[in-house]
Amino acid sequence: MLQEHPFAARDDALFLTEMNAITRWHLEACPEYRRIWSTWSEAESVAQLPFLHVGVFKHILFRTNQSEVEHERTLLSSSTTGGKPSRIVLDARSSALQSQSSLAILKSLVGHQQRPLLVLDDVNSLRRRGEVSARVAAAMSLRPLASEIHFLLAQANEPASIKWDAVRDIAASHDALLIYGFSWILWMAWGGQRIPADTLATLRGKRVHFVHSGGWKRLESLKVDRERFDASLLEELSPDSRVVDFYGLVEQIGILYPLCEHGFRHVPRWAQVLVRDPWTLEPIVGRTGQLQLMNPLAFGAPYHNVLTEDLGRVIENDCPCGRQGTRFELLGRIPKAEVRGCANV
Amino acid sequence: MSDCLHYFETPTQSRVVALPFRLDVYLDDWRELRAQMIRDCPAPFSREEWAYLITFLDPLNLRLPFVTSFGTAVSAPTGAVEAVFRPRGPVAVWLPNNVSLLGPLFLVFLSLTGNPLRLKAGSNAEDLTGAFLEFARARLPNGPLRHYLEQHVVLQQFGRNDERNRSMAAEASVRVVFGSDRAMTEVDALPHPVESTAFGFSDRQSEAWVQRERTDDDVLATLIRVFTIYGQAGCTAPRRVVVLDGSLDDCRSIRDRLRTLWGSVIQQDRPMHVASCNVMARQQAAASGWDAALTARNGSVLAVGGIDLPPIDSLMALAVVPATPTDAVSRLPTNIQTIGHSLRDPHDPQWLKLLATTRIKRFVPIEQMHHFGSTWDGWGYWRQMFEEVSVTL
Repeated sequence: MLQEHPFAARDDALFLTEMNAITRWHLEACPEYRRIWSTWSEAESVAQLPFLHVGVFKHILFRTNQSEVEHERTLLSSSTTGGKPSRIVLDARSSALQSQSSLAILKSLVGHQQRPLLVLDDVNSLRRRGEVSARVAAAMSLRPLASEIHFLLAQANEPASIKWDAVRDIAASHDALLIYGFSWILWMAWGGQRIPADTLATLRGKRVHFVHSGGWKRLESLKVDRERFDASLLEELSPDSRVVDFYGLVEQIGILYPLCEHGFRHVPRWAQVLVRDPWTLEPIVGRTGQLQLMNPLAFGAPYHNVLTEDLGRVIENDCPCGRQGTRFELLGRIPKAEVRGCANV
Repeated sequence: MSDCLHYFETPTQSRVVALPFRLDVYLDDWRELRAQMIRDCPAPFSREEWAYLITFLDPLNLRLPFVTSFGTAVSAPTGAVEAVFRPRGPVAVWLPNNVSLLGPLFLVFLSLTGNPLRLKAGSNAEDLTGAFLEFARARLPNGPLRHYLEQHVVLQQFGRNDERNRSMAAEASVRVVFGSDRAMTEVDALPHPVESTAFGFSDRQSEAWVQRERTDDDVLATLIRVFTIYGQAGCTAPRRVVVLDGSLDDCRSIRDRLRTLWGSVIQQDRPMHVASCNVMARQQAAASGWDAALTARNGSVLAVGGIDLPPIDSLMALAVVPATPTDAVSRLPTNIQTIGHSLRDPHDPQWLKLLATTRIKRFVPIEQMHHFGSTWDGWGYWRQMFEEVSVTL
């Protein structure tokens, strides 16, 4: 499936076969997963495939102990709201497939050309032994498109620590740049900032692709809408510069759901998205519910099929942007309310 | 001025309780407010919470602290008065951010003592106590209760580092802290009058103990209602049901009957995030070895397993475990509050022995698990709101 264009026509039968196979793979060799889905047997539709709730990865470190699996580092989510990060054990085989997947999707959005990759993060984020953050993982998915990599922040969570001198020097010797950051960091460090005059002068007219992910929540609180966000970033750059917003989860690494120019997220042909009613878990189309994301690329642990806490709506029929396959709207997180109790929470 | 004298008698003693109001008139005011409450439920309260508050305001319930603390009310003493009780003085109450109905319930009971009240609500929380106070002040007729709530009750919202914490502690004759152990330590460290007294109501959890033959549908429906009002966030809601001398099969049978009943007892959907959290908790529990199942419309998680399995820390997760009485006692959490029981013979002295040798604070029928009383967490706090004067005439 990975050989085709990510948004070419789907082969749903093949996808279901692959998903059934990888589900059996995990059931055979991951005891916790097997305990959760002890009575499951073959699915006749993707809706029957067993999923894991995204929150479970905060509590259980799943591992599928098949002999072919070579477990490597642990991927950590950013845990901005819940406090406890999700933990996903990576393995060599899956990582290779996931890189192939994300690269194919990204190429379809920003082209094949190699150019300097500027990452809005601190280089020290790369150096955590045995663990890798969601931000770094997302940035590194762009590595095959990078001729060189530069980390722009002196401190990982401090957008004001951006090294404008470095941006100026890199831009001075290249016509095209690729820039990745979490959405809120990209705004706080770049889009919403006054760029120093000398840096701005070297950026003027350059072709820049900004790639960002991580969600809109913080930007909403800053009252920044997408139009303003994109316009600020693209100001004074070459007209073929672009801002690419993609949705993805640590628990679905390798799969990116880009936002098209018509406002829809698109599902690559080697993944699928369902929406479920939160109270019945019935799959629904055309109505808002919880997004369920699946792909057959995860062999080291059963994160191949995940019920998220994001809300969305699957849209039937083809998108005017021309991409085929499933499309959906991302409608934010499940609203949370304070838990009322005595003194013990 | 606490110049309204009220007489009470026990079989051995006549007592006077001095209050700044006529108790009958005051209770009539509460009764009037209760009637108003039946017509209107202010926004921050859930329907279950409001219904519970209405039940709590039953005049008999409001008289109960006087009866248990001072005896039977009489119009005049039949013997020589041997004790006079007068309000101790200003009471300062620290409520936690997420406080439940305990806030309004405590306010109601403290109002009966006539002491001036200063309550601190959390700085970033929905404030049920404030909402109830506002409702009462707006709806009560002119009378002693309204006068008391307007003139002698102050409720403020501020943070843990606010200077007002210091003045609250410094001016109070009684300090009451609901919250974490840390909050209690912090409040206790504030300068306070040497003669003042303090009560701390800290992190607690509760259990239901049942015997299989005492689990008919009424008992199980009550259990469902008692659990769902706050789930694990309620210190008096059961976190697990212990089936005494039962088997895992007994537990499964009870769990399955609870699941069947759930939809008819709880007809309102849980919020979306709670439903989602329950899906997660079901999986987390199953992965840990529990036989876990969701109830109707993902309203809760019911999990069967051994008493030593890791606890399921999730708002609406209820474990059903078998245990011998000995094991049930040895596995009690150190911060146990209430045991709600449904037993063949709750009068059996073995239960009294149990209470004598454990940290259990309350042992009540399941339907009374949330009943707030004048004794709480082992403290006879309500009576201590009065200063006792020994009298020999």
